[in-house]
Amino acid sequence: MPSKDYDVLIIGSGASGGMAAYALTKLGLKCLMLEAGPLVDFERARVPKAVYELPYRGFGTPGKLPHILQANEFTENQWVDEKEVPYTHDPKTPYNWVRVRMVGGKSLFWARMSFRLSDYEFKAADHDGFGENWPIRYADLAPFYDRVEPIFRVSGRKEGLAQLPDGVFLEDNSPWSESMNAFIGAAKKRDIPVTKMRRATGQGQFASSFNLLLPEAMDSGNLTVVPNAVVREITVDRNTGLVDGAHFLDRHSKREMHAKARAVILGASCLESTRILLNSKIANSSGALGHYLHDQTYIGQGVQAIVPQAKDGKAPRGYIGGGGYVPRFVNLKKGNEENFIRGYAYDFSTGGSPDPKYIPLYGEELEKAMASYRGAGVSVTIMGEVLPRYENFVALDPKVTDAWGIPVLHIQAKYGDNEQKMCKHAMDTFEELCRSAGFEILAKHDQAFPPGYSIHELGTCRMGDDPKKSVLNKWNQSHDIKNLLVVDGSSFVTGGSQNPTLTILALALRASEHLAEEMKAGNV
Amino acid sequence: MLAQQPPSATAQPAEPAKLEMAISDDAADPVPKFFTVPQMAALRALSEMLVAGAKKAGAPEFLDFLIGASPEARQKVYRDGLDALNAAAKKKYGRTFADLDVSQADAMLAPLRAPWTFDDPPDSLARFLRAAKADVRTATMNSREFAAAASTGRRGGGRGLYWYPLD
Repeated sequence: MPSKDYDVLIIGSGASGGMAAYALTKLGLKCLMLEAGPLVDFERARVPKAVYELPYRGFGTPGKLPHILQANEFTENQWVDEKEVPYTHDPKTPYNWVRVRMVGGKSLFWARMSFRLSDYEFKAADHDGFGENWPIRYADLAPFYDRVEPIFRVSGRKEGLAQLPDGVFLEDNSPWSESMNAFIGAAKKRDIPVTKMRRATGQGQFASSFNLLLPEAMDSGNLTVVPNAVVREITVDRNTGLVDGAHFLDRHSKREMHAKARAVILGASCLESTRILLNSKIANSSGALGHYLHDQTYIGQGVQAIVPQAKDGKAPRGYIGGGGYVPRFVNLKKGNEENFIRGYAYDFSTGGSPDPKYIPLYGEELEKAMASYRGAGVSVTIMGEVLPRYENFVALDPKVTDAWGIPVLHIQAKYGDNEQKMCKHAMDTFEELCRSAGFEILAKHDQAFPPGYSIHELGTCRMGDDPKKSVLNKWNQSHDIKNLLVVDGSSFVTGGSQNPTLTILALALRASEHLAEEMKAGNV
Repeated sequence: MLAQQPPSATAQPAEPAKLEMAISDDAADPVPKFFTVPQMAALRALSEMLVAGAKKAGAPEFLDFLIGASPEARQKVYRDGLDALNAAAKKKYGRTFADLDVSQADAMLAPLRAPWTFDDPPDSLARFLRAAKADVRTATMNSREFAAAASTGRRGGGRGLYWYPLD
C-alpha cells in the first residue's frame, strides 16, 4: 500500500489546528489532520441525570482530577485523565494543566470571551522595558481579526479604546440594568471603562473549530482527519534537515504509524505542541523552547458584593442583572504608574447568589441569609497579566511516560512579586468601585488560583525576530526548520490580560496563509 | 428519507420498554465504616445543626463513605476535626458533642461565625467545621431525599448532562 503524501500535516484539531485546516484547504493544499482524541457524538456521549444518581452525589470521584478545578462529577470524563497522560511538578508549586482530547479540542468548551490584543501587548517592552516585543504590531494582525470575528460571530459593542481594539461585531445594544449603571457611574468617576462582554456566539450549541472551521475545510475535499492519533514525535529528513511527517500511535491499540507531508503545523495546544517538539529534539537552537511559560492570574470571586436594593427579592424588574468587562486601565500612560507593571481586567456580573461560604452563619440563620441575598449578588473574576519569565518553563520528565510510552512534561511555574502586587491592587480597586456604587461587601481576597487554571497557557515557543532568543519567526515558522510551524498559544511573546483564543485564531490564519504562499512560491 | 412503510395491523412500535430504576439509597441502608462510633455520633449531630434535614437525607452516612474514599489529607481534616469537637465538648461540658444541649452545641460552632478568609484556618476544629459546612450542605442538597422534597419548596441539587467515558 503506498503511503499518502500530503502537503501539510496538522497536529491538533482545536482552534489553531482547525483554523490552519480552514485556511490551507481553501487555498487548495491537501491536509492531513491528526487528533489525539475521538470524534464525539454529542447525542451519545452525554445523558441527562439527576445529581443524586451519580456515585458520589456530585462531589466527583475522589482524587480523579486533582488539578482540574473546572471539573465536576457530570463532566469528569470530558477532560484528559491525569493518570493516562500525567505531568509532574514540584508539590510546592502546583500547575493546573487542563486538557481536552476530542475533535474540536478545548474550543468545544471555552468560555468564548473574544478580545483583541493591542500594541500595549505587541509592543509591551517599548512601553515599560520588560521582556521582548512581539515581532509584529497590532496593524499586522488587525486584518486577520477582522476575518475571524465574523466566522465566530463575536458579539460586542464598539467602545473606541486603544487598549481593547474594537472588532467586527454582532452589535450588542442591550441596555444596562440599574445596578450595572450604578457600577458604571462609579467607574466613570475614576476614568475606568466598562464595556459589554465580547463573546463568540457561534452557531447552535458550539462556537468551535468542530462546527465553524472543520466542516468547511472538509467540504473542500482537501482535508483528511484521523482521530485517536496520538503523536509522539515529528520526523526530520536527514538529507534536507526539513521535517517530513510524524510518528503517531493509535489511541486504542497503540499501533504505531508514520504520516508524511511536505510541511508540519503544530496546533496541539501550547504545552502539548512544546512536548512534541521536545520529544522530537528539534527547533530549539535558541534554548527558548519550553521557557517563558505564562498565562493569566485568575482570582475567583476576588470581591463578593451584594446590591442592597435587590435583597429579599425586592429589586424591581430591570434593576439588577447583566454583566460587563473592564479592560486593562492601569499603566496605560506610562509603563509604571503603579508599584507593578502591566495590567488586569475584570469580568463581572450582577444578579447571582453568593456562595454560602462567604456568609458566617449556619443552619436556619444561613438559610434565611441565603434567601435574602438570592439574586442580589455581584460576582467578579479578576484576570491579570503574567510576566513571561525564563525561569517558568516545561521540560521532559526523564522518569515518567504516558499510557502510550511518550515522555511527559515536568512543569515549573510560579507567580512572582509583580503578579501578587497586581492582584492586590485589582481586589482593592474592585472593592472601592463596589462601595462607591453603593454595594455591600461580603468578602474579598487577592489569592490567584495556581498557574494554569485560566487554561490560557502561552509562550513556550515564542516568536521573535532574533533566532537566538525565540523559537519561531513572525510567521509562526520555526527559525531552525522552515517547513515547521507552531500556530497555537505557545507562540505568544506576552499575553496581556485578555483571553487569548481570538488572537490564536488570527495568528493561525495569518501564519497558514503565509505558509501557503511560501509553498506555492517554492520557498518551502 | 426512508420510503413510507405500508401500514400493518400487527406491527408494534419498536420502542424498548422504559424501566424505572431505583437508586440504592431508596431501597437500602448505608453501612458506615470509616468514622469511629464517637466520630459518627458527633457528625450526625453536627450535620443536622448545619443543614436542617441533613440526617433524613443521609448526609452523615454519605460523608462516611465519601471521606473514607478520599485522599488522606481530607480524611485527616475530618478525623482530627471530629475528635477535636468531642474533646472540646468534654473539656467544657463533660459530655460528648452529641450529648450537648442546643445552646452548648451552638457555642462549640463559634468558628463558623468568624468572617470568611481565603486561607483555611490553622486550627483543626475551625478547618474541619468550614469543610463540613460546605460538604454537609452539598450531600444534603444533592440527595434523593431533597430532590423528592423539592416540590414542597426546598431547593435540591439539579440535573446535568453526564459524560460517559469517551469511546
